Order: sequence, then structure tokens, then C-alpha cells
Amino acid sequence: MLKTKPEKRTRSMKVANMHIPSHLVLLLWSFIALFPIWVLVVNSFKTRLSIYSNPFWLPTKWNFKNYSDVLKSGDFLRYFQNSLIVVILSLAIVLIVGALAAYALANWKSKLSSGIYFFMIAGMMLPIKIASIRLLDLIKGLGLLNTIWSLVPIYCAMGIPISVFVLTAFMRGVPAELTESGFIDGASRLKVFRVIVLPLLKPAMATVAIYNLVPFWNDLWFPLIFISDEKNKTLLLGVTRLFGQYQTDWSKVLAVLALSALPVIALYLMMSKQFIKGLTAGAVKG
Amino acid sequence: MQQSKSLRKFGASLRPSGWYWMLYLLPGLLIYVVFMAYPLIASIQLSFYTGSFGNRTFVGFQNYITLFTDPTHSSRFFNAFGHTWIFFAIHMVVQNMLGILFAVMLTNRTMRGRSIYQTIIFLPTTLAVVVTGYLWKLILSPVWTGDILASMGLGFLAQPWLGNESTALVCVALVSCWQWMGIPTMMFVAALQGVSEELIEASSLEGANSWHIFRHIKLPLIKPVVGIVTILTFVNNFNAFDVVYSMENANGAPNYATDLIGTLFYRVGIAGQHPVAIADAGLGATIATITFLMLSIFVIPTLIKTQGGD
Amino acid sequence: MKKFLVLFMAVLIALLPIVGMAEGVSLTMGSWRADDVEQMNNLLSIYKEKTGVDITFQPTNPSDYNATLNLQLEGGTGPDLMYSRSYATGLELFNAGHAGDCTDIPGLHENFTELNLAPWATEDGKMFAVPFAAVSHGVYYNKDVFAANNIEIPATFEELLAACETLKTAGITPFANGVAEEWDILECFFLGMLPNYVGGAENRAKYESGELKMNDENFVAALGDIGKMAPYLPTGFEAVTYNDSQILFATGKAAMFMDGSWTSGTYGDVEFEWGVFALPAPEGKATAICFHPDLAITYNTATAHPDECKAFLEWLCSEEGVTAAVANLPAGYYPLSNFSVTFTDEHANEFLALNEGKETDARFVWPTLMDLYAPMNQAVIQVLKGAMTAQEAGDSIVAAFDALQ
Repeated sequence: MLKTKPEKRTRSMKVANMHIPSHLVLLLWSFIALFPIWVLVVNSFKTRLSIYSNPFWLPTKWNFKNYSDVLKSGDFLRYFQNSLIVVILSLAIVLIVGALAAYALANWKSKLSSGIYFFMIAGMMLPIKIASIRLLDLIKGLGLLNTIWSLVPIYCAMGIPISVFVLTAFMRGVPAELTESGFIDGASRLKVFRVIVLPLLKPAMATVAIYNLVPFWNDLWFPLIFISDEKNKTLLLGVTRLFGQYQTDWSKVLAVLALSALPVIALYLMMSKQFIKGLTAGAVKG
Repeated sequence: MQQSKSLRKFGASLRPSGWYWMLYLLPGLLIYVVFMAYPLIASIQLSFYTGSFGNRTFVGFQNYITLFTDPTHSSRFFNAFGHTWIFFAIHMVVQNMLGILFAVMLTNRTMRGRSIYQTIIFLPTTLAVVVTGYLWKLILSPVWTGDILASMGLGFLAQPWLGNESTALVCVALVSCWQWMGIPTMMFVAALQGVSEELIEASSLEGANSWHIFRHIKLPLIKPVVGIVTILTFVNNFNAFDVVYSMENANGAPNYATDLIGTLFYRVGIAGQHPVAIADAGLGATIATITFLMLSIFVIPTLIKTQGGD
Repeated sequence: MKKFLVLFMAVLIALLPIVGMAEGVSLTMGSWRADDVEQMNNLLSIYKEKTGVDITFQPTNPSDYNATLNLQLEGGTGPDLMYSRSYATGLELFNAGHAGDCTDIPGLHENFTELNLAPWATEDGKMFAVPFAAVSHGVYYNKDVFAANNIEIPATFEELLAACETLKTAGITPFANGVAEEWDILECFFLGMLPNYVGGAENRAKYESGELKMNDENFVAALGDIGKMAPYLPTGFEAVTYNDSQILFATGKAAMFMDGSWTSGTYGDVEFEWGVFALPAPEGKATAICFHPDLAITYNTATAHPDECKAFLEWLCSEEGVTAAVANLPAGYYPLSNFSVTFTDEHANEFLALNEGKETDARFVWPTLMDLYAPMNQAVIQVLKGAMTAQEAGDSIVAAFDALQ
């Protein structure tokens, strides 16, 4: 049947492969997604008042001072660095620890393990802010107050429930044959984890990383209560310096926050590449 | 199948006792217990106390009784509770449905520009909520955009969307969907990537249209991810706070029309209502505890339903 | 991944700060005035030159100040010195044992009137902070627009309405105020005009005790008159934020803005002449001013350097300290001490001059009725939106008052 009408089929396939409706939908959404970002970018080149003469269009007079002020101010570069260290370190710990836990939880089937599983994901369901005072005590007791290290254990604890939740779900989807073949070969569990499980988990780990990346990067609360020292501030905490009680120069805030999104985008691109690579390399056939 | 069963048995016999697995759980458990579970449990206990700072007194279930019987508190609580469900429903319909739709489109291998689209969908997620709030307030403000809309013949769109009690909640929820769209899309893409190509090709040759393929092949395979995304959406919405805070205020303006459990909790338990600003940690802990119980009631069955069966 | 981690650890260790400083006492000061870093640094550097005590000004974004300060105080990590809000909010910190007792600070009782001490005094006459600054409320107006439309400064509320009508007919938004953020319509507008209707502190006390009801003729007249403003607010005022209002006035799109003196410093770069006038009382009533004791400074009882903290507060009570403070206070903030001071800023003097010959009072709800803040705020907004009549709004406030008793 296929061979009888080759021409027609290729043409209709060509048309089908152009996916016109899909492109239309995605282009529409792209417009919706990008329009506010366009507003963000154009207005970051204006001044406090000129934003409002036409908020949607290019500035009549370009103002580069917002950006040059940020880049010249050593403080902001320092804030960038602080945020980057905190976020990457926290993500690395969340992923490693979460993957180890998920590996165990998916393989070890007992009442105790499901108890631990529910215990660990219960943390998703409570607002961590409620524990602020205890956490402050704890961080103070550890002598981490006023350092960027105070944030790492908190973010790790915040990320672990989601990490365990998502990674365990993925682990359970991995066919047992794959891990078992490793055990049969006499490999240690750690080796099975490293050689077989970890590569399989890569896409899920990228998901977890991206999922946690944004809340860690954009968290204001814990830096606010832990860090008052100028040089140890995170980026978002540093930005709050630009907010006044009664007035705010939004063009400046937009410039800083546009810059602040760049590392997140870069990290996202990095991880999503990992994510695609993992998917093709793992090649789990359904 | 036969073989794999025997293999599994073989594997099981090779496995050392479960306690050995504890070694793998230990690092995560340690961090989690010290920095999350213990502080949370110790704080939840505050729901049985009243007063602030050093002078707390034990009051038993008084905070729970107050929350449900005191007319001001209970009406605020149920108001926020209802809004949170609406907020959740809008996220499920808009964010997650569109997320699945986009993911289906983005996993079609013959589609061009997939990674560009996916990056664009993700871009809003990278913005700090304070800037999202500002941008959308600007875009939705009739004062600043009324002239532009009128010049396009769309003057009727220049409404105080965020200032009307009837429209504010929906607008805030849609902005939140706009911002977080990238996350469910990404998770569904991950799930759909795993769906075998041969299976789809085979069924399309059998004459199944794309809806059938989606309904009968793809959807069952991504069911666990749908479960994960539903749970995460649910949990996040019950803790949602930032988007309302940055687009309206901590009171859930106008007239508490956008008040969610998250803003109510913040106002009562953490910051205190402006400008009195005296927080009631006990009542705040009560709200959090009740929210936690409700979440558990919803989450655990969902978990069993979508993740079970293995 | 591993290499990455190792690398990171190396970077981290290299960056580990090794701090060790002594030499001179250094203190920190918490504040919600994130706008004033420059001014406060100037003031504090004057003090440092004099005494060698180094005070670092560490303001927090105002919306986060209360929440974070409470946590830090409870966790024992609060700043040495801190801004204190007036009345109940500040008192709470004293009752909890965090704000220091300032009663015996030399100069405090000599250089401040009882009236100005009262917002930071306990019932038994103890002081929990040293008064620092007050703010005023009035109508900012665009002189150019007024001149172009032949409008004089209105002397009565009726004249103000007529002026609004003229402006509206000319296609100019009369008032820039909006209700989206809720607080500003109450604090800046309604509480700013309320003394015109209910009088000053003496009558306020009668409302506080319940002798007068907040749905009486005067109070309902105030609610009714703010309702009359609705057509003169920007189109879509329901969604106009405080920032929007400022911009509407600063860009000349709105001719007037009922606001606090604290923003007078932000219109330095506008392209028109502007001034302020007192929001006039209706015919037959005396115009009064809402002059509000806003901020004071206190010390943390947990500080390691109580003597240095008290010495600084003592300096703030002295003529030298007040003079230095006046020179560095941001525009629109007025010292509360008895020393006579002059401002260099033209608009600061203009605002202060509004007080002459008029009765002044703090914002109505601040002293004892703080719990009525939210109900009153909603009542005012509902009147403006046309969802409630002035009488209904008054009744709703009385209902809230009764519920508290």
C-alpha cells in the first residue's frame, strides 16, 4: 500500500511535517511569553519617569547608566558571585544526596522504606518559613550566621523532598533488569549506582536541578534574616537596596533583575543539554 | 518475562539486608532531619501556644478553635481556602493542560525549532517574582496602557483588572501560570521523550489519529508524571505567596479577593498585618498545620493512585 | 560533576573570609528607611568623627522590616540600635524585652515636649525610644497647571471640588491617588483629611473611649467627602498603585496628589513648579493638619555595647545632635525636639508652614485604634468604589470597634 502511491504520501507527509497548527500555537505562546520580557528589557534602558510615556516601546533616549552602574559597582559583582556559589553548591548536594536516597528507596521495599519516603516528601507540604526562628537558632549555633554558607544547608533541606519525590518516581520506572544485571556481574551497589543508575537518572536530575534552581536563586527570605553583612549578601538581597520605602527607581531595578536572570538562563541551558544528552544516551525503550 | 522474573529473584537473593540501604539514605536524611523536619516539628508545636517572643503560654487547642469559630478569623480562613482551590484549578487547567499540549508538540521529532520554543517557554520562569509582578501590573494598568489600547481600537480592554474584586484573582493566577509554564512543560517533555517511537509509528499506520495516539498510548505512559505534576502544583499553590504579594499586597487586595492560604499564613504568622505588624506565631502555626493535614489527605491517595502498581 | 565539585570546594575554601577586627566600637543600626542610606551615613560619620564609635546603617526593605526584625531579635541577632515605630508596634518590642529603656537618657525630657514623647512612652511614663522624626500630610499641586486653568489654592473643600471639576473639564486628571495598594488611600488621604472633620487629639480621645461614635455626623461627613473624590481620581484608580500615583503627578498627568511630606524629595527633577497646600476643611470648619510622629530610635537590650548605644541616643537628644540630624534628614522629615531649626529645602519649609495656626494630630488610628486600621481602610475603599454609602461605611467601622470591645 505504501509503495503504490509514493508521491502522494511524501507530499502529505511534507505538509504534515511542517506542523502548521503546532507552530501557530507555539508562536502565539512565544509572543505571550516574550512580550513582558520585551517590556522588561526596553524599560531597563529608560529612566524612572520615561518608562511611563510608552511602556511598550523603545526608549526615545537610551539610558545605559542603569547597567553601567551595576557593572561598575563591585558590590553587585560580589552578590552575583555569592549567589552563584550558594546555588550551585546547594544544587550539587541536593542532586547527589537525592539520587542516593532515591536509589535506596526504589530498591529497598519494606514498610520502613515507604515510611521514610513519606516522611521525606512531607517536607514539601509545609511552608519552611514557619521554622524560621528555629533555623536562625540552628545557624547561629553552627556559627554560620552572616556568611553565605548559612544558606546552603537550608536550601539543601528545601530541595531534598522534591528531589527524593521526583527521582524515586523515575527510579521506579527504571526496569529492574538493568540494575540486576549489574548485581549479577558482581558489581558492588555503589558501582551499579555510578555506572548504571546515575546515567539513567540524568534527565530526571536535570529536571530536579531546574526545578530547584529558580527558587534558590530568587529566594529573598533566608538571606534577609541570616545575612546583614554587605559583602555576604546574595544578589536578590542586594537588589532590595534599590527599593525605597515610598519610591523605587524601577528602571534600575529592571536592569539589575534582567542581569540577574542571565545566570539562571545559562544554567538552564547547560542543564537542559544534559537532559537531552541523558535521554538519548540512556535510551530506555518503553 | 519468565526470564526477568527469575532474574529478579536472583537479584533479590544477592541483595544484602535492607539496613544496608540506610547508608544511601543517611546523608539525605541527616540534612533533612536537622534542617527541615526538626525545625518544622518544633515550630508546628507552637500551634498549641499563644503569645510572642519569650512569654508563650500553653493553650491547648484554643488556636484551632479560634481559627474556626472566631468570625473574623474563620471568614478570612475560608475565604483564603476557597481562593486557593480556584488558584489551583486555574493552574491545573491552564498551566498543566497547556504544558501537556506544548510537550506533545515539542516531542514530535519532525517538528522544527523545538529547543528554541522550549527555551522561550522557560524564560519567564527565570525572572524574580518581584519583577514579574511589576511588569504585569504595568501591562494590565489602564492608566499606562489605556491610550495604546484605545489607539488599536481595543479600548474596552483598558480595565482595572487587578483592582476589581471579580477579576483580580483570575489575573494573578494567569500570571502565575505564565511564569511557571516552563516547569510542567519540561517535565512532560521528559516523560514523552521516553515513549517509544516504533509504538507510535505502528499505531499511526494502523490508522489511529493523533488524538487516539495521545489518549491511548502517550497519556497512560506519562500518567506517573501527570501525578507528580499534579501533586507539585497542588503543594505549590497551597504555599503560594510571592505572586500575590508582588502583584497586589500581603492582604490579598482588593478587599481580600486574592488572599490565599499562603498570604494569610504570612500575614498572621510571620509579618503581622500592616501596619500593626505584630505576628501571632501560634495562630500562624495552626494555619500551617491544618494546611499540612489537608495536603496530606489529598496527596497520599494521589500518590498511591498514580505512582502505585509496581 | 566530581571535578566540578572539587573545583568548587577549592574556590570556596579560598574565599573563606578570615575576619578579625577590633579597634573602636562598631555598632549596627536597623531601619526600614532604605531610601536614606546616604543621609544616615553622613549623620553617622559626623558622630564617628566626634566619638570614634562606628555605626553601620543597615536598612531592610520596609515591607520586610517588621518580619525580619522580630525574627532577628528573637534569635538574638538583632542590630544594636534600631528604628522604632510609634505607639503599639514599637511598644510591643519594649514589652517583649527587646527595646531598651530610654527613660533616663539625659536631655530626653528636657528637650522634647510631652506631646512628642507620648508616642514612644508607656502608660507608666517609661520611654522606649528617642523621638527622631515626624511627617506631615498635604496636597501636592502642579503650579503650572493651576495657573494655566486659573485655579487658586482652594480655601474650602467646596472650592477644592470646584477646582477638580474645572481640571476634569479641561481633560486633566485632578488627583493622582489610587487604591490598589490600599494603605495609601487611608494613611495619606483619609487620615490626612480626617482632622478637618473630627478635630484634633481631644476629640480623638472621645472616639477612642467610645464617647463619640465613628458613624456620627462628622465622621460620616468625612467618609462622604472622600467619596466625592472618586470621579476626580484617575480612570481605573482601582488598579493605581502608589508608584503609579507618584509618576502621574511627576509627569504632569495629574494636577494634585494628596500625600505625605516624605515624598517631597522625589520631585526634584520634575519639569514644572509645584507646591503644597493643606487639604481644606468644608465650609464652616477649621482646617487641621495630620502631623504624625513617625520614627524614633532605640537600642537592643541584647547589645554588647549598651553604654555606647545610650551615648549615641543622648547625642540625638542634644542640640548638637539635632542640628546634625536636621542637616541630614531626608526632605519631608521633621525633628521632634524643642530646638528651633531651619531647613534649607524650600518645600520642607513650605510643608512645615502649613502647621502654623492650625491644630495638628497624629494619624487617627495610630495611638490606640490600630485594630481599626484594616476595617477603616476597606470602608474608605468601598465608599470610593461606590459599593457602600458613607453611612454604611461608618456603621461598618463602628461594628468593628464594638467587636473589639
